[in-house]
Amino acid sequence: MLQAFWNWFDPTAWYPLGRVVGGTIYPGLMATSGVIYNILHALHLPVDIRNICVLLAPGFSALTAWSTYMFTKEMKDESAGLLAAAFIGIVPGYISRSVAGSYDNEAIAIFLLMFTFFCWIKALKTGSAFFGTLAALFYFYMVAAWGGYAFITNMIPLHSLVLIIMGRFSSRLYVAYSSWYAVGTLSSMQVPFVGFQPVSTSEHMAALGVFGLLQIIAFAELVRSHLSSKQFQTLLLASVIGLGVLGALGFVGLTYKGWIAPWTGRFYSLWDTGYAKKYIPIIASVSEHQPTAWPSFFMDLHFLIFLFPAGVVMCFNKLRDEHIFVILYAVVASYFAGVMVRLMLTLTPVVCVAAAIAFSSLLDTYIDPIEPESIVEGQPEGDVAGAVDSKKAKKTAPQPTSTALGDIVSKFSSSSKPSRPHGIFGLNTRLIVILNAIGMLIFFVLHCTWVTSNAYSSPSVVLASSNPDGSQHIIDDFREAYYWLRQNTPENAVVMSWWDYGYQIAGMADRPTLVDNNTWNNTHIATVGKAMSSTEEVAYPILRKHDVDYVLIIFGGLLGYSGDDINKFLWMVRIAQGVWPDEIQEPNYFTRQGEYRVDEAAPPTMKNSLMYKMSYYRFSELFGGNQAMDRVRSQQMPKTGPTLDYLDEAFTSENWIVRIYQVKKEDLLGRDLKTANAFAQGKKRKRTKPPVRRRAV
Amino acid sequence: MAGRWRSRLTLLFVGLLSPLIASAEHSFENTAIVRTVELAGSLVHVTTTYAVKALEDDSSIYTIALGEDEQKKTSWIQARLKGQSVPLELENFGFSPRTGAHLYAVEFPQTLKANASANLIIETVQTHATYPWPQEAFQKDGQSLKYEADLFVLSPYPTVVQRTKIRSSSPQIHSYTTPEDIEAFTLESPVTKSGSTLTYGPYNNIPTSSTEDFVKTNQKRIAVHYTYEAPVLEVTKLERAAEISHWGANLNIQDNIWLRNAGPRLKGHFSRLEFQTQNYFGRSAPHTLTSISLALPPGIHDVYFYDLNGNVSTSRFRPAPSVPKGSQSNQHSILEMRPRYPMLGGWNYSFTLGWDSPLEDYGGWQKESGKYLVGIPVQTLMPSAVVDEAEIKIILPEGATDVAFHPPFPAVMNSISNHITYLDTMGRPTIKLQYKQLTDRHVGTIYVEYRVPFSAHLKKPLAVSAAFMSLFALAFAWKRVDTRIHK
Repeated sequence: MLQAFWNWFDPTAWYPLGRVVGGTIYPGLMATSGVIYNILHALHLPVDIRNICVLLAPGFSALTAWSTYMFTKEMKDESAGLLAAAFIGIVPGYISRSVAGSYDNEAIAIFLLMFTFFCWIKALKTGSAFFGTLAALFYFYMVAAWGGYAFITNMIPLHSLVLIIMGRFSSRLYVAYSSWYAVGTLSSMQVPFVGFQPVSTSEHMAALGVFGLLQIIAFAELVRSHLSSKQFQTLLLASVIGLGVLGALGFVGLTYKGWIAPWTGRFYSLWDTGYAKKYIPIIASVSEHQPTAWPSFFMDLHFLIFLFPAGVVMCFNKLRDEHIFVILYAVVASYFAGVMVRLMLTLTPVVCVAAAIAFSSLLDTYIDPIEPESIVEGQPEGDVAGAVDSKKAKKTAPQPTSTALGDIVSKFSSSSKPSRPHGIFGLNTRLIVILNAIGMLIFFVLHCTWVTSNAYSSPSVVLASSNPDGSQHIIDDFREAYYWLRQNTPENAVVMSWWDYGYQIAGMADRPTLVDNNTWNNTHIATVGKAMSSTEEVAYPILRKHDVDYVLIIFGGLLGYSGDDINKFLWMVRIAQGVWPDEIQEPNYFTRQGEYRVDEAAPPTMKNSLMYKMSYYRFSELFGGNQAMDRVRSQQMPKTGPTLDYLDEAFTSENWIVRIYQVKKEDLLGRDLKTANAFAQGKKRKRTKPPVRRRAV
Repeated sequence: MAGRWRSRLTLLFVGLLSPLIASAEHSFENTAIVRTVELAGSLVHVTTTYAVKALEDDSSIYTIALGEDEQKKTSWIQARLKGQSVPLELENFGFSPRTGAHLYAVEFPQTLKANASANLIIETVQTHATYPWPQEAFQKDGQSLKYEADLFVLSPYPTVVQRTKIRSSSPQIHSYTTPEDIEAFTLESPVTKSGSTLTYGPYNNIPTSSTEDFVKTNQKRIAVHYTYEAPVLEVTKLERAAEISHWGANLNIQDNIWLRNAGPRLKGHFSRLEFQTQNYFGRSAPHTLTSISLALPPGIHDVYFYDLNGNVSTSRFRPAPSVPKGSQSNQHSILEMRPRYPMLGGWNYSFTLGWDSPLEDYGGWQKESGKYLVGIPVQTLMPSAVVDEAEIKIILPEGATDVAFHPPFPAVMNSISNHITYLDTMGRPTIKLQYKQLTDRHVGTIYVEYRVPFSAHLKKPLAVSAAFMSLFALAFAWKRVDTRIHK
């Protein structure tokens, strides 16, 4: 069965190329749902696979809450863990991926991320190869599930490297890292889509480098235990320099020879937010890949975003190995979340953890019923503080003493400590703070419910609006049109559309598509972009060469649906321009004033483009002589709409959102379709010379 | 069982008397035959009244003949005496080339004396008897159909006078055949049209017509081309699954329906603009199907209507309360459903429709036999549509034994198999019946009898609790076994 999955070739996607599904996707999600399906069916519970897919994300979000609890418990205590679990359960930043019906790689990946990190912390704490291997196994699952596994691949080495630099190398670190890296890397290479990347691409080199470094250090430790310190110093210096030079040379050499792939474009776009727009428009065209706007931090995280820094600072208080991990995770994830909206998802767990640490410290302090004794002159200082902190002090592991950073931090945080007793006096202060905190929690819950119901609960294929009487009106154009395609077109009819709708057409209409959401072939997408943005005469040969029978576009002008193809059109132009810079030029689609217009003032290139013609074909007739109005762009359309010679309107959905055109076959008489059309409409060809009239003699 | 036995008996009886039948033309005479054809879409109702006069004493077996083409189209046939509602039994003899017709025998309840008369009514429903003409139509065009039939009603007996009335629902009849060369039977105009009715005949003194010779020389084809104002619907396939649950006291019925608009194929393409304009001015095209109103049984709840793309939200449901047992009521729960898109000529739409209903409305336990008896309706009528193929599945409770079923009309194929569903250990006995060409007269109830022992009811809770208990026991054991390698 596994072999069949790896060899699964889907000829209906990326027509005419086809796609090896097993080799071009992360199989984790499909495998998980398949396993659940088979288990349920073996138990005679015939649940439909679609129900499993719909409920997979909520199910896994429960596991995420549990693993966040385990992770936070390692950081502070159970109460912080419970808070963190509650936070991640409802925080909008994660709900966006865990609502029912969000069948996405991220649905299972966040659980795997948190659980792998938990196993890593546990392995590091106990020095247990068992937990190291467990971390590796879940890392493997993560690799099979989501491209974001590179985050783990780099977070764990980064953590280890920082620990080494801080002088915290220990055999526990060595065991944990080695077992994780060896088992994790070997198993991750079993995923066909990943293959040899773990040893050949730059993204994975950090993990390999740290693995090597750890071996050297461990070896050095071994040697030190057998040599005198003088000899060891010389040896260390020589070998460190030698190995460093060798390693760097080797890395450069391998990259130069092409053994190690250089950094990919996606990687560069993480550092330079303008890079993608210039060089890989297909990445920039996805709204999730845009830099994050400030309000969305509040929208997705609410008050956690204020508690988050406090929690990170509190990690400095104790600064055990695992706290360093949280600090690093917080810094790295904050940066990435700022670069791409989508990566907000990786930030959310650490925000929940840090905020839970901060919030539970607050509650611990203010709910703790022990009041400090009132200040008595001449009392020894240490006692009072000791009494208050006694509970916590028990739990703290013996602190590493000799680190530089740790020293600074502990000095900083304890500078004013001994002078005054800590604790809360009286009920009123407690009540003020606790009520305030509860109020914040209540507002958080209200906010999460509101955001979830407004932003994340509506499916994107079904739109809802309300009638004047308040009842719900459902706009179901997408499913209408897809079902029409499924029922009333030949089974092998090829449908061309922009790639956003590829999976939807494959799933709901069951027809071959040219491009889909698995954007593995940029040229093919650019071909579709070119066909959409050229004139009919240019586009027609492209359509015929790709056996296109139907062209499907989304048009929101009648209803005011803003996510339509005319609004995405510039991206099609840009992507096409990336491949055919001589034929498609973005400036031609703007007016002289640099405006993007679709009305009378639109530039001729725009007006003649296939996309424009298909969108507005017979649109103005709908208004029965009145001025036609595009409600998305609030522009008045010309009275006479565009005409089509090479395509026929085949279907338009109820609210005109989906319009499907059929590509005409070549004319039987060998004329070009434009002439044939003109002939059919009874128009005579203009003669170049007027007929000679016989003169009366 | 009894019915089958009796039919065997008649078969034997008829087999013995077959030489008599061959010369049966002497025993009856048709004083008049009137055939009425109701033109419609995919279903055409034909009623033929035979005024029969017996020529000999003790005549009781009357033979009816259907032409070869007519037999092919006829999907339902019933005989009764005028003024009575009890149908008479029809014995099918099949096609015989010697007569050029398909013969049925009907036995009168009382034997007729010489010169006594009886009025026999044969009702048939023809399916796929009409076809769109022209075969393609633009979206804004009207819809016209063509119906073809034989001019003469065949009979193994001589007929004094014969008439055929063809009624259309609209007076717009574009054309019809005027038969020629029939001066032997009539001297007046062979066909008259008044309003929406065409009358062929009266034709007098027709000899025994179910002979090869008559069919070859005198039989004529007639065709009527008429306007039809409603969409022509065809259910190409119907799958009904009825699941009986004793635990939930519930009968779930689910229909998977493949619907097709068999009207003229759409010429050119569908234009939403035109469709919306037509609707705006209230002139929607007759061959466009936008909504269907279905009469579902009363007392049902949790109706669902979905297709492969999920729930279809464009339907309205008006439930009617359950009817108490034994009382008659014409109330129906009405479901007004709209397909996702308007169905134009030649378009298909498949969907699933299902509902739950209280089991006590459909069956009960019989004290005398100790068996349960449940009645499952054969189909929910799709208005004026023919069902080309139907598969009806009745899923009985787990552990049901002594299963017997009595369909209202014989199935093409039936079988009993095993169906395993939610938490079943053994599976449930399932009755499968297959039908072809169901019409609006194929209504009725399939009665299913079975026995469920008390232990079978307990099977599921026991199995589930045993599974959970073993799970807990495993967990219990695991907790107590030390799996550490070193202490």
